[in-house]
Amino acid sequence: MEKEFTLSQMEQETDEMLRIRYLNKENAVFQRTGTGFLSLTVGEETYDRVQVVRMFPVQSTEDLLSIRTVGDKTKEIGIVEKITDVTPETAEMLREQMNLRYFMPVITKIRQIKTEYGYAYWDVDTDKGSCCFTIQMGGNGVVHLSSNRVMIVDIDENRFEIPDVEKLSHKERKKLDLFL
Amino acid sequence: MSKKMRPTGIAQKKRLASDIRKQLEERSVAEEDIICWAKAGLNAEGEFQDTVLVLNREYLWIFTDCNPNRGNNIHVYKGYTEAAEYAEHEWEVTHVAVEELERVWIEDGVGCNIFVYLKKGETAHRVVCGFTNRYKNEMHNLVRALEQTSRGEVYEQLEHTEEYCPKCGRMYPDEQRKICPHCMDRKNIFFRVMDYFKPYKVRFVLLIIATIITAALNLVWPYLNGTILYDRILAKNEDFLHSIGIRNADFVVALLLLILTMLVTKLLLLVLQILQGVWTVQMVVGVVRDMKKDVFGTMGKQSISFYKNRQTGGLMTRVMSDADRIIDFFIDGAPNVLIQGFTMIASIVVMLRISVSMSIVTLAVFPVLILMGVYLRPKIHVMYGRRHRAERSLNNALNDNLTGARVVKSFGQEEKEIERFTKTNRNLRDREIDITYRQNFFQFTYGFAQSVATMGAWFVGVYLLMSGKNMNLGVLMTFVGYVGQLQGPLNFFSRLHNWWADSMNSAERLFEIIDAIPEVQEPEKPVVLGNMKGDISIRNMSFGYDRNRPVLKNLDLEIPGGKMYGIVGRSGAGKTTLVNLISRMYDVREGSILIDGVNVKDLSFDELRRNVAMVSQDTYIFTGTVAQNIAYAKEGAGMVEIMQAAKLAGAHEFIMRMPDGYDTMIGSTGRSLSGGERQRISIARAILADPKILILDEATASVDTETERIIQKSLGYLVQGRTTLSIAHRLSTLRDADYLVVIDNGEITERGTHKELEEQKGTYYKLLELQTKALQRQSETF
Repeated sequence: MEKEFTLSQMEQETDEMLRIRYLNKENAVFQRTGTGFLSLTVGEETYDRVQVVRMFPVQSTEDLLSIRTVGDKTKEIGIVEKITDVTPETAEMLREQMNLRYFMPVITKIRQIKTEYGYAYWDVDTDKGSCCFTIQMGGNGVVHLSSNRVMIVDIDENRFEIPDVEKLSHKERKKLDLFL
Repeated sequence: MSKKMRPTGIAQKKRLASDIRKQLEERSVAEEDIICWAKAGLNAEGEFQDTVLVLNREYLWIFTDCNPNRGNNIHVYKGYTEAAEYAEHEWEVTHVAVEELERVWIEDGVGCNIFVYLKKGETAHRVVCGFTNRYKNEMHNLVRALEQTSRGEVYEQLEHTEEYCPKCGRMYPDEQRKICPHCMDRKNIFFRVMDYFKPYKVRFVLLIIATIITAALNLVWPYLNGTILYDRILAKNEDFLHSIGIRNADFVVALLLLILTMLVTKLLLLVLQILQGVWTVQMVVGVVRDMKKDVFGTMGKQSISFYKNRQTGGLMTRVMSDADRIIDFFIDGAPNVLIQGFTMIASIVVMLRISVSMSIVTLAVFPVLILMGVYLRPKIHVMYGRRHRAERSLNNALNDNLTGARVVKSFGQEEKEIERFTKTNRNLRDREIDITYRQNFFQFTYGFAQSVATMGAWFVGVYLLMSGKNMNLGVLMTFVGYVGQLQGPLNFFSRLHNWWADSMNSAERLFEIIDAIPEVQEPEKPVVLGNMKGDISIRNMSFGYDRNRPVLKNLDLEIPGGKMYGIVGRSGAGKTTLVNLISRMYDVREGSILIDGVNVKDLSFDELRRNVAMVSQDTYIFTGTVAQNIAYAKEGAGMVEIMQAAKLAGAHEFIMRMPDGYDTMIGSTGRSLSGGERQRISIARAILADPKILILDEATASVDTETERIIQKSLGYLVQGRTTLSIAHRLSTLRDADYLVVIDNGEITERGTHKELEEQKGTYYKLLELQTKALQRQSETF
């Protein structure tokens, strides 16, 4: 059962929702839990486990991070505006947490793209190793993040990235041409 | 390397890798004791590393690949199949006792999900491993298996849905459909489409006859203006004149006769062409209409989930363009196979008979032409697709500007919008130029190759003529004519295969809709209630749109007939889902819903829909008059009835303010109505339907306070003598409810009368405070 409810408490909650609290090395202490997660102490408050969520996952992977509570009714605890606002060790911890949430291999080489019966079968090299995946043709399999940056979304919604189409070889671009 | 990956023979059941089985056996876990296992592609740091989780009654075993960075490791996603057994790995093994586990769960991320558990008596969540979406189903199954095992239940495996064609190993485009486009029986579909032509048998036969005559006449043509003209008449061949019965060597008469014959031939060809056109149109219109009728007929019978799974736009194009594409092939393609084949063979035979050497020179170029047709044409198709996309984005830009004109203007962004439009426009122009360039290139090379063939024939022919070897000018002309005759069939056959495959795919898709079995089935022998009281009881009911995510969990609720029940809860709590289940838009997964003691699954759709009516937040107004819209659920309702219903719904006044009153056209082509007006029309609709069970799903959410009061009032009339279920965010809407139910996270968390809930000081109380006291305080400060 939830705590007894009062109007002032509700107003406090609303205020909290509207407030922007920046976390930095002075006011926040992040610690590894030893079980794969992070705990956080901000002033009086302590959290056994926090989540690190990118606010602009496409534009910025390291800055503007929302530090949130865990669970169904997740709430924001604070914001790390720049990853340099925290100590390098903390930054490393935040990166580890983001790795557990965001996974998008970067395509370095397109070996083959074969289209057949409404699917395109990709065979590529990525920064994380060779990958073979499939996208739906004519759907939203290829998303333009900017004019040269492309995200490929496979049929299970796994993601892959091509940071700069122009940097691919002529041959690779030709294979990709169908989707641009 | 990639070729090996192409799926073949995945039919065999996936089996746990042998080295893992061996390791388990060493720890005295036999294969048959394994309840469930799953593979996860990522490790606890979110990097690629194979992790295999195996569950038996006592332990969850965690196998981690010690050497994830093996050089030739390929990470395989859905669509490709994994090797049946991967190479021997070196595994690191750990385990957790099932009885020590308090809870296991999955947290969804973006591309990486994690498997987490909590041990009894601990507070720290522990991450086991990450996994890509590829393994989501497997992992969810494992979580279920773990939950059931720790409760001491037997794990019920969900039926495994086959994702790949067992014959060729290709992935099914649609898991539910299980039709492999590569292996499907195209012949069967072909004959099924032919059924649609049955009513037009006579015309079809006539059409084919006409086409054959055309082909034959076309074959005669080169002979007439070649051999006859040059070698018989110009060469003054008297035997020829005798044979057609002209004496006195009157070659002028013969010439006139020839010209006449040629004229008649041309005339015949023209007449046949017109007839073909007329017959084709008559048939096409009929067949397309019949197909669309069938498709629409079955679409109407489908359950809501059918529409949810498919995009409405996709459905529309299917009905519209697929039928056209099929017909296109059946009219232009299929009959032509015979005719073009006949023309080609006949031409080649004639050519060979005229001169073998000339034929060889000419025919040598043909394989080149066929190859060009097969390889270059699809490239142009791709470009058409690209142009189509460019067109679409131009339309989007245009649409944005037209509908969002106010926003554009108010933020002063006209310049930027013009720039955006220019950019997409330029893109479209470039695509257009690409196509023209490509087409010209194609035509140029194709034409050139053809010319080479013709020139070759000329060269050999003239050479033969000059050396006086068994060759006449007329024969040469005839021969060249036949070379020209071959172009049509060549063109035709080079695109026949794609054409056939496309049209069969379209047909398959159409038949899929026609054959689709509704998920919610009407009982064969429905129970007839006659006079419904309107008691609803929901017993231990669970439901989820997706198996992995239950929306409603073990619900129990008794609603006595004639009472009004209010349902409260935050958005996404499952309120709308609950009422959808009562009117059987979907079927419950577990438990049951009874009306007057009878399972809703045993009632006929007619009885159910007649007695259950819904007024929801998104009202739909059909194109038609106000009266037609109100009488939608009760055809043939009298004018007085309609007026009374509108009056009760508080709709009468605004209807009377419209110039044509109840006969005013509304809907997409007519007058547009405000949100409140639409709402009241749909309430009038429900009043006229006179249901025993009335469902109000946020019926007043989108209207202003004053309109809400009017609607409230009219709802007051409406709910009398009916069982009413009302969903609302605003508690003021529910003040007349006899009983309230609070749903949170798919479960009933509070229930009782207003007073009881107020005393409980739970969610309801919180909401009430929020809505009333906040208002009070506001009025105090003002």
